[in-house]
Amino acid sequence: MSAPASELAGGTRKGALSTLDSGSAPNPVKRVVAALRSTPSVVVSFGWIIFIVVLALAAPLLEQITGISPYAYHENAIDPALGGLPLGQWGGVSAEHWFGVEPGSGRDIFMRIAYGAQVSLTIAVAATIVTTTLGVVFGMLAGFFGGVLDQLVSRLMDFLMAFPALIFMIALLSALPAGNRPLLLVIVLSIFAWPYTARVVRGQTMSLRNGEFVESARASGASPARIAFKEILPNLRGTIIVLSTLSVPQYIGTEAALSFLGVGVIPPTPSWGQMIASSVAWYAVDPMYFVIPGLFLFFTVLSFTVVGDHLQRQLDEGDAA
Amino acid sequence: MLFYILKRVAAGAIVLFLITVFTYTVFFVLSPDPAYMICGKTCTPDRIADIHEKLGLDKPFWEQIWIFISGLFVGREYGEGVNAVHCTAPCLGYSFQTSQSVFEMIVQRLPVSATLAVGAAVLWLLAGIGGGLIGAVKKGTWWDRGIMVVALSGISLPNYFVALALQYILVVKLKWLPFPTAVPFADDPLQWFQAYIMPWFVLAFMYAAMYTRLVRANVIDTLGQGFIRTARAKGLDPNIVMGKHALRPALTPALTLFGMDFAALLGGALITETVFGLNGVGKLTADSITQNDQPVIMAVTLLAAALVVVANIVVDLLYSVLDPRVRVKAQ
Amino acid sequence: MMKKRNVVLGLGLAAALALTGCSSGGGSADGGGSSGEAVKGGTLHVLATTDFSHLDPAQGWDGGVNNFYRLIYRQLTTFAGGDTDDPTEIVPDLATDLGTPNEDNTEWTFTLKDDIFFQDGTEITSEDVRFGVERSLDPDIAVGSPYAKILLEGADDYEGVYKDGHLDSIETPDDKTIVFHLNQPYADFGSAVAQPVYTPFPVDGDVTTTSIDKQPISSGPYVVSEYKPGSTIVLERNEYWEPDSDEVRKAYPDSFVWTLGLDNSTIDERMIADQGDDKNAISGIILASSLSRIQEPSIQERTLEGLKGCTTYLALNTTKEPLNDLKVRQAISYAIDKKSVQTATGGPALTDIANTMLPPTVKGHQDFDLYPSENSEGDPEKAKELLKEAGYEDGFELSLDMRAVPVTQAQAESIQESLAKANIDVKLNVVDTAKYWQIIGTPSQQTDAAIAGWCPDWPTGATFLPPLFEGSQIFDQGNSNIAQFDNEEVNERMAEIRKMTDVDEANKAWGELDKQILESAPAVPLTWEKAVTVTGSNIANAHLHEGYSGGIDYTVVGLKSVDE
Repeated sequence: MSAPASELAGGTRKGALSTLDSGSAPNPVKRVVAALRSTPSVVVSFGWIIFIVVLALAAPLLEQITGISPYAYHENAIDPALGGLPLGQWGGVSAEHWFGVEPGSGRDIFMRIAYGAQVSLTIAVAATIVTTTLGVVFGMLAGFFGGVLDQLVSRLMDFLMAFPALIFMIALLSALPAGNRPLLLVIVLSIFAWPYTARVVRGQTMSLRNGEFVESARASGASPARIAFKEILPNLRGTIIVLSTLSVPQYIGTEAALSFLGVGVIPPTPSWGQMIASSVAWYAVDPMYFVIPGLFLFFTVLSFTVVGDHLQRQLDEGDAA
Repeated sequence: MLFYILKRVAAGAIVLFLITVFTYTVFFVLSPDPAYMICGKTCTPDRIADIHEKLGLDKPFWEQIWIFISGLFVGREYGEGVNAVHCTAPCLGYSFQTSQSVFEMIVQRLPVSATLAVGAAVLWLLAGIGGGLIGAVKKGTWWDRGIMVVALSGISLPNYFVALALQYILVVKLKWLPFPTAVPFADDPLQWFQAYIMPWFVLAFMYAAMYTRLVRANVIDTLGQGFIRTARAKGLDPNIVMGKHALRPALTPALTLFGMDFAALLGGALITETVFGLNGVGKLTADSITQNDQPVIMAVTLLAAALVVVANIVVDLLYSVLDPRVRVKAQ
Repeated sequence: MMKKRNVVLGLGLAAALALTGCSSGGGSADGGGSSGEAVKGGTLHVLATTDFSHLDPAQGWDGGVNNFYRLIYRQLTTFAGGDTDDPTEIVPDLATDLGTPNEDNTEWTFTLKDDIFFQDGTEITSEDVRFGVERSLDPDIAVGSPYAKILLEGADDYEGVYKDGHLDSIETPDDKTIVFHLNQPYADFGSAVAQPVYTPFPVDGDVTTTSIDKQPISSGPYVVSEYKPGSTIVLERNEYWEPDSDEVRKAYPDSFVWTLGLDNSTIDERMIADQGDDKNAISGIILASSLSRIQEPSIQERTLEGLKGCTTYLALNTTKEPLNDLKVRQAISYAIDKKSVQTATGGPALTDIANTMLPPTVKGHQDFDLYPSENSEGDPEKAKELLKEAGYEDGFELSLDMRAVPVTQAQAESIQESLAKANIDVKLNVVDTAKYWQIIGTPSQQTDAAIAGWCPDWPTGATFLPPLFEGSQIFDQGNSNIAQFDNEEVNERMAEIRKMTDVDEANKAWGELDKQILESAPAVPLTWEKAVTVTGSNIANAHLHEGYSGGIDYTVVGLKSVDE
């Protein structure tokens, strides 16, 4: 959702969101689902997403079962004489520690990945919800009513989009007290991202507003609010879904980048980005500690992007008819 | 046309002004007292009051902003008498932690960030546009698939991960490259190249991936449009069809984006510079945030914003040149 | 008085704490080392993560920058070289001896040597020394060593030479003689004048409070020929420095080049790889993660090891309940698993367990362990007993201030775990790194306990125990007595020791006072960190100096060979 992307997780461009035509093919949902199910890459991606979601949700349960907390130190798994290097191969992989342990502290990496998934997903989903809501509301307001309202909203959007988001976020987050970090992150992320959603929604709304079905609704005396909710919003559904799906990986990537820089989630709360940051010093002797969170991040972002891409393709095809 | 330019510039100036006020306010409200970072171990209440006076922090909020903004144009002075510090225009602030004017600090580091930005831009434009075109033209083939997979990886891999992995493999394991040490081209071209090649690649990989996807989608879209079919039906040479008719509308969104991306990059590639240890504006930002060197943080934020605003204006103007519809609408 | 002040190294990329420290004393061995004769010539490289705080010796004050100052500045006295038997011994530098006091040590006279010059060839006179001190007292820049302000008569309300003219308590009867009038008897003043604030500057050289940071005026063997803040520093020879007038500095290399702003892990990689110019390079302390990579003999040969000379400790706020109860504090002292803290800090290769507040490098140090446990792993049973006696059988809650820096984090969590075994529930209060020292130094804002560190300004208990435990040194802001310890007996003893005229006796007394203080357990000493560093293969005569937080003494290090 971020254009320009600066250096955050890569974004996608709303290159050719063709205008929505009125009244799409009968039962588009079935069509889309069928199409998606037949594409192997989508199935695999979806599978990974389910895996991660389950991992995140089941983390506390796993903790109960294995008895290993993501915060507990395991000094017997590391070698203090060598600065805390994990004992054993592959960074300390064993029956007890499936992904090995963190150097220096001996914390279980698998549990930290699981709880890290919780953190990443929670923040990403929350931010997506906020951004999408704000984006749809403002976009529709601006697109539907036009005039002064549109001017105001558009200027506000220009203003926010001109900000060097990454720098500002880092500066803001480092200046703010260490309060409820995830909440702060969601707020800060959303502030700079909603204009991109709003922009697209606004464009769509503006085209829709002149469509036939809207004309007829107006002719039959419906109030603007009704028109907005009953006629326009449903037709934005596809766009909203695509935008949301493609936002999630953006936020996951951004949160990871911020945690990497040390301004995201505060340790000892686990975060994939922060694990990568800690692993930098160790990657010569314990590369697994670097590779594991990196791959998780990669696959998660990749999966959401693949699903989002295909959804978008379906959306476009549905309209090009 | 002139009127349009003036209008855009004026709008940009207003946005910048608002950003300045907003940034200043946010930092004013949120930042911890900078005095403690300056007086170090010997912070007595007197000393702290002194520092506040020197930095002008004891003045009312509106006066502070005014001093700051006017300082941008005419410079300002900190403190009085023999030991007053003169900050010549454009005064972006003065860092008491390092005893330097922020403008000086930025200018010193600009060459590194600029080199990074330009080199990466060349690479990513070539790869991004080239890749997007090939993918669009050969849509559905293995070429296309391959390109899309690479592009997908480019936007999914965190860039710091790629940077670190690259450095580890090329420098530590294979020893093909030395550790990046930024030197001016004139001093040692080989070392210069060796220092920048990895960060260029990392940045370009990320951006090229995005641009490939964008250009490909746009070109496919354009190629499917009515006027292209007409042109083809008319029997026009496919190359002309491609070059003249398809390319332009496909590329204009990429151009818009490029303007902003490049400008943002000039403001410093924070993560890349930090990972590779290159002393550019991005690293300056990162370091000053760690050390809570407020004047620097503010100045860099404003600089980055200014660059983006300027880039937007330039791109808009270019747009109006390329696409007559915009011009007409503007009038 | 020095607080450990940490500037976070890189954003989350560094795993090691660089303790900024001051001097410390006593001997400590160089493990392995780049010994062997150094030759004259060549360029010595230094790889560093951060810039020096200030080039102006009135403002900079930590182990690293003090070490650097010796290359370009000289004072009346200074530490011996790192290559001598006792590097923390104070020897004459610009002065002919360690000063002549009057009867009650309130007046000190020094005579300057001949053949001492600034970098432009002008002779260094006593007026220049006086000017150096006077400018350092200007409130605008008085952020460095406080040993002029504290000791000189009238320095309290003196606002520096630019505002108040000359300071009467410094007399210069002639070009070669300088007399200091102190506001208290101070037997160790000969050590105090080694502090950077006593650096001379030309009295008629257009020197302002801001000019030295930009354009240092050198009195030492090198001049700053290039300075790009945050990037590089280049030193070249000061042609007017007379080697015969200097018994400490060897000045082997023709030039020094600092490369700043490097990442810690990158530095370690380069030192291990030993390629190209890095053969002629030295750097700081290695990361814990590099320990396993320096085990092979070829790298062990060029690894140096020693104590930094600072103590990391847990301060217990004696004004808060239940920490105001002696038994509770003693219980905590028993409960803490110091072995675990050691592991958290990097293991035995990088840290020693501390049982006394004074580090072993301090003169007069006494070794004792008032709260012993097996393997230093803590004794939660004994702790629980004491708590029961104090009436806290069910334990209590404790808030611990800490910064979100990896090593401190690990230490805090390890303390949390060991205290949990004694039913003490520790809540970690994460304070912003930028605000940390401000908060724990403000009695109204600190909570129950804090992890802190201290390095003595020079290796004596006099610069260690009073700032941390003297009742009169509790301030509303910038407080170093974090435990807010105010014990009448201890305060009286401190005053007594200060009056002693024999410095050695005094140091011994401080060592004993350490024990006395810990009997009241206002703090729990945790670790003494070590300095472990790897040098390039072409480095010779590199020695760690406890006076500079275990850093390699720049004034004696050189190259093994110079080939063009």
